[in-house]
Amino acid sequence: MRLLLRTTSLIIALGLFASSASFAAGNVEQGKLKAETCLGCHGVPSYTNVYPTYHVPRLGGQHADYIVAALKGYQSGERSHGTMQAQSSGMSEEDMADIGAYFQSLQ
Amino acid sequence: MKKLFINIIVSLFVVATASSFASEEAHESSHDAAPAKSGAEVAKQCVACHGEDGNSLTPNFPRIAGQHADYMLHALKSYKNGDRKNAIMAGIVAALSEEEMKNVAAFYADQTGLSVVNIDDESKH
Repeated sequence: MRLLLRTTSLIIALGLFASSASFAAGNVEQGKLKAETCLGCHGVPSYTNVYPTYHVPRLGGQHADYIVAALKGYQSGERSHGTMQAQSSGMSEEDMADIGAYFQSLQ
Repeated sequence: MKKLFINIIVSLFVVATASSFASEEAHESSHDAAPAKSGAEVAKQCVACHGEDGNSLTPNFPRIAGQHADYMLHALKSYKNGDRKNAIMAGIVAALSEEEMKNVAAFYADQTGLSVVNIDDESKH
């Protein structure tokens, strides 16, 4: 049991270390330019998605790595949302990292 | 090679976490008559990844503090019906009723965290 706990902790620690090192840091200034389109929906307080209806998620202060992962999910089709799939379709990894860095900078 | 190694370790972590939650849930779902848990009660199982108040300290787990409740409910339902795929989240939502998902979404929406990027403020810079 104790060994299991230790092994699990080690795996978690390694996993966290690996994931924090897996994305290159983006450029906030570049991201600000590239994120202009995003703000058409994500920059409007109380803006809602339709069918189904829910508020467009708040992204100010969101982790860059998570935003990159979400964009990659939309680009690959793993995550479904027509608008987000279209938006992410032409993005490079660098674009995603820059956009992620920009949103993360808005605490 | 390095990437493969990293992927294997991350996958192991994900599977281990998800399966431990899954087994707990199988146990809990036998109490069908139990009243819905409050948002704070449900949130206890979110802390490990999403942080004490939803402001996750780990960059690959999203901050959810201050997120819109209806967006989070949509996300939780999408994990539950399989539209959105994530091994950890699938395990978590399996045991939650719709009311519990609403409760936990409301709980995190009430915390201080994420903000809306305000275009008007941005254009002044």
